[in-house]
Amino acid sequence: MHFTRRSAVGLGIAALATAPMGIAFAADEGIKIGMTVPMTGPGAEIGHLQTEGAKIGIDKINAAGGVLGKKLELIVEDDQTTNPGIVLAFSRLVNRGDLVAILSSLRSTQVNAISGDARKAGLPVFFGGTDPTLTNTGNPWFFRARPNDVFSAKVIADFGVNQLKKQKWALLHSTDAFGTNGVKALIEQLKPLGVTPVLVQGFNNGQADLTPVVLAVRQSGADIIATYTPFENDVGVLARQLKQFGVQATWIGSASVASTTAMQLAGPALYGTYAVADFNAEANPQAKAYFAEFSKKVGRAPDYSSAWAYDSILLIAEAIKQAGGTAPDKVRAALLAIKDFQGAEGAYTFDQNGDGLRSYNVVKNDGGKIVFVRHIAFDK
Amino acid sequence: MSMLPQLLFTGVSIGSIYALVALGFVLLIRSANIVNFAQGEFSMMGAYFMVILFAGLGLPYALALVLAVVLMTVFGVAFAWITYWPLRDRGQVPVIISTIGASILLANLILATYGPSPQVLPGLFDGTGFLVGNVFMDSQYLSIIVITVVLVALQYLVFEKTMVGKKLQATSQDREMAALLGIPVVAMIFGTFAYSAALGGLAGILVAPILYVSVGIGAMIGVKAFAANIIGGFGSIPGAICGGFIIGIVETLGAAYISVPYKDAFAFVMLIVVLLVRPQGLFGERIAEKA
Amino acid sequence: MHTASSRKNILIAGGVAALAVLGAAVVAPSDGYYLNIMMQAATYTIAVAGLVIVLGYCGQIALCQAAFLGIGAYCVALGTVDYGLPFFVALAIGVVVSGVTGIFLGFATLRLGGHYLAMVTIGFQMIVTMVLTNWIGFTHGPDGIPGIPRPSLGLVDLKGGSVYLGLCLVVLVAVTVYAALLKQSRLGRAMQAVRDNEIAASTCGINIFRTKTVAFGICAALGGLGGGLFAGAFSYISPDQFTFNEAIVLLTMALLGGVESAIGAVIGTILLVLLPEWLRFLRQAYLAVYGGAVIAIMIFMPRGVWGLVVGRFVKSRPLSDDATAPLPLLARTGEVSDTIVLDVTGLAKHFGGLKAVDGVDLAVRKGSVHALIGPNGSGKTTMLNVITGLYVATAGRVRLGGRDITELPPHDRNRLGMCRTYQNIRVFRGLTVLENVVIGAERAGNDVSGTDATVERAIAALDFVGLRQVAHLPVGDLPYGHQRYVEIARALAGSPEILLLDEPAAGLNLTEKGEMAALLKRLKGHGTTIVIIDHDMRLIEKVADHITVLNFGRRIADGDPRSVFKHPEVVAAYLGEARHEAA
Repeated sequence: MHFTRRSAVGLGIAALATAPMGIAFAADEGIKIGMTVPMTGPGAEIGHLQTEGAKIGIDKINAAGGVLGKKLELIVEDDQTTNPGIVLAFSRLVNRGDLVAILSSLRSTQVNAISGDARKAGLPVFFGGTDPTLTNTGNPWFFRARPNDVFSAKVIADFGVNQLKKQKWALLHSTDAFGTNGVKALIEQLKPLGVTPVLVQGFNNGQADLTPVVLAVRQSGADIIATYTPFENDVGVLARQLKQFGVQATWIGSASVASTTAMQLAGPALYGTYAVADFNAEANPQAKAYFAEFSKKVGRAPDYSSAWAYDSILLIAEAIKQAGGTAPDKVRAALLAIKDFQGAEGAYTFDQNGDGLRSYNVVKNDGGKIVFVRHIAFDK
Repeated sequence: MSMLPQLLFTGVSIGSIYALVALGFVLLIRSANIVNFAQGEFSMMGAYFMVILFAGLGLPYALALVLAVVLMTVFGVAFAWITYWPLRDRGQVPVIISTIGASILLANLILATYGPSPQVLPGLFDGTGFLVGNVFMDSQYLSIIVITVVLVALQYLVFEKTMVGKKLQATSQDREMAALLGIPVVAMIFGTFAYSAALGGLAGILVAPILYVSVGIGAMIGVKAFAANIIGGFGSIPGAICGGFIIGIVETLGAAYISVPYKDAFAFVMLIVVLLVRPQGLFGERIAEKA
Repeated sequence: MHTASSRKNILIAGGVAALAVLGAAVVAPSDGYYLNIMMQAATYTIAVAGLVIVLGYCGQIALCQAAFLGIGAYCVALGTVDYGLPFFVALAIGVVVSGVTGIFLGFATLRLGGHYLAMVTIGFQMIVTMVLTNWIGFTHGPDGIPGIPRPSLGLVDLKGGSVYLGLCLVVLVAVTVYAALLKQSRLGRAMQAVRDNEIAASTCGINIFRTKTVAFGICAALGGLGGGLFAGAFSYISPDQFTFNEAIVLLTMALLGGVESAIGAVIGTILLVLLPEWLRFLRQAYLAVYGGAVIAIMIFMPRGVWGLVVGRFVKSRPLSDDATAPLPLLARTGEVSDTIVLDVTGLAKHFGGLKAVDGVDLAVRKGSVHALIGPNGSGKTTMLNVITGLYVATAGRVRLGGRDITELPPHDRNRLGMCRTYQNIRVFRGLTVLENVVIGAERAGNDVSGTDATVERAIAALDFVGLRQVAHLPVGDLPYGHQRYVEIARALAGSPEILLLDEPAAGLNLTEKGEMAALLKRLKGHGTTIVIIDHDMRLIEKVADHITVLNFGRRIADGDPRSVFKHPEVVAAYLGEARHEAA
């Protein structure tokens, strides 16, 4: 028999083929910031926007002369939109050994996947995943550049109960991490306001028909519907069928409800709905400036997928400047010392867990136009 | 329960879609003994052809619809030529795997071209629907039911009453014998692919106003249609149709009365139970013996 | 002996490889990227090796390997994090749970054709993903499970990256060795026989259903093993890592590398782990390339990368000329006795309205050559198929050596000593000539067992039909006539009580027909009972002791050759046929 001897050879070749992949580059003058984004797979489009956002941040800093006299440089690795993919991409970045900080994913599950490696890496790691538990693991290097879902839930609960004066809540959510955790947080936030939801119902993404869900909402007699769904087509189906079955309740949802795509899909069925969004061009002057810059460069309106990356770059540059160098622990300390740094998403003040933002914007679909309602910020 | 009539209406409409796709599926099994795992992607392609022709080129709806179905027949032939023809003599497994490959290829080509954002297609009628008693009749749901019934009837007529139908049946039963009788077997098989693709494409166009046009449109429909086939009886035409309706109704009622998150599981649980208890399916003959 | 030494080679190579990878893993630079990519490749490969066994060896399509990967991973994650079990206990639970689930699924579906398994496994894959996502109280839901610990083994701490990678690689080598040994084992040959020809496998004594179920069970267990190690490697898992898409990726890995051996799994997995790095320029389209690759592989490279390499560079050697003891059944002597060994009464087989066999009696005496003749369509082959259990009888009884076997499945009839050949040759095309015949020698009721003895018996059978020189070749490389001899050798290697030959001379030229007649004559008179169907009356005349004539599914004559050929109905039947053929 021959082929088992080859098995040893095969494994050897495998080892050889994979071992020398992480060749370090000779260090040059710039300050390097790494970033993992989905360049392939289903998230590639969002990955593109995220990269553009970060690049606009880099260009802005460099145009103003860089930091400490050095230019910023962005090193991008593909995370393939998968967990194993981001683990590989992240460890490739860390292996270079010349990075000051890393921007990672928008997707909470991917942030979880690199959590262990991030702790070992000893670099500030910025991310946009909004699962509240991500910053509860005591990882000193994690920095979240978006408000977590406790705050979106807080805003929805506060706005619904105190502004809209609604008491009978139906909570609908996707059964993925985003939807499940969002609704969990919302139930928690409604409790102190004395509200127990009349209905909590999850459904899988990509349903053709939500008749059973909508009938359940109708039967529950809810006067407000809150939704946590990441995908626009579910928003579309839900909007159409709520209308068809004559459900009159007010609808306030996560960002997808006010997205351009959802409005295209559902049209008038979404008129009068509210949504919470962490990025809105009207929220502050920085947001307005970023909106203009991004629209000019990319040819479309920016949203949450890129604004946090832009802010992260500005935050890192500011921290390096304050620390007077690029030593990771000094940069980290500087980041934690930053107070009310105005970015496109809001004013950043990092707490000990690494959560930087505690605010959300409420917007309304007014006859097919998104209008800014208010910015709600919390101290804690 | 006052909900029941509404749920039944929904179940029957969704079931019609499954039945329509299952029908295309069963024809391929019967004519060429091919299990096509890209059947759901046929629906996706139909819907995207419609997006190109109607939304992109701005053709009138009816013309775009006809053209899209015609394009689907061409697509069906091309599909057969690439995924089936080179492997026709190598047994069932390579063809199954090659159709799986085709489904990944098609879905991701569309994803790369159009991205993940869903596209909008209007329905056949402008109005959204009307109330009968306390049941809301969505106009698109109604048109799906009507078109499915008409197509099933037409197909029955063609298969049972015309020469082409008889030739197709002969091809499916014994290809060598059919060839000896002078039936153009190859043309029959390619023709079935074309027809099957057109049916699948039509199902996609019909479901588009409900589900919107996105890459995922095909996957779940295709899998459910396959399940419909087995529940109804593998290779049985009435079985495929009834299986489709049964799944549509069971999953809608199951979602309403048992669990919404597990809605998509009902079809498969039913499938496994049917296989354990009555492997020939509800309408199937005994599993064919051959030696 | 040939196989014993090759088994030893596999074990030695495996041992060397295990030491080598262990050494390499410990010595190699332990930077994160290298460790991560190696751990990913190693754990996936273990799962892909499962697919090699179920798809490559056994020919069944399973589209839920990611589900088994997930079950294994979740058993380890939940076991260690939530229930405080030691890592290896949790890993063992994962392997058992996925294996048992696989056997249950196989039990539900494998009685039916391959597409049923494909379908049910898609459904199962989706159900598993749904349960992992929605059963939040147990699985932690879509958040997944962070902080999965790595194990210690006694005093050895396996928590370090390099050491843990070493563990994964050693397991991988063990799995590869296991897969290679399995392929050469009786079970592995049975799987391949089922893949190549289910019908012939069943009449060679292989329980098709059990073989497939076991293959699927092993596949599932390996999926669980890979998943369990994966959980330890990355310390965090979530439901979206174990979806249908991942199942497709795993399948593609197996196909790309080649499903014939676990080496293919190694190659395919490494290629597909590295491929996204190389294909980055394709951006969103790279999954489309996966899909296209699957089609292209099926069309242009059905044996995968490794199959291509093996096909080009590995040449098998012919057997040595060492003398082998002749077939024991030739040493026996036995005249035709009056004992009825095969007793068929009132046998009927109806297909819908067609009465292919309609109430036929047949009494075959021990040691005789009993010919079953009749015009085309008279029901001879159907009769043989009912006797060997491929068809279920509509009515009537079949007794073998006094025992009623009417209800027995084909493989049980084979165990009782019934072996057959086919009119349309049914050999196991993926195997060599020798392996084909060894499967015959491995018949459960045979007087030899164990690898060496059955191989020796198979060589004896090949000597008898004169095919020793080509024993090492793939059976498909042999000319048509020789493939018939392979079938006969396969049947003879099982030392049958009764041998049923379905038109052994069909498709042979005149010389070959003469050789076949000579061979049958050599078989005669050694106590082996033979039932033969053929159209060649000269052949029948030369060898038959007794003739039964069928026409339109009924017996029209029965007796010694001379009386039968004079029977007026027989003459009419054959003249009728002759006239028909002339027309």
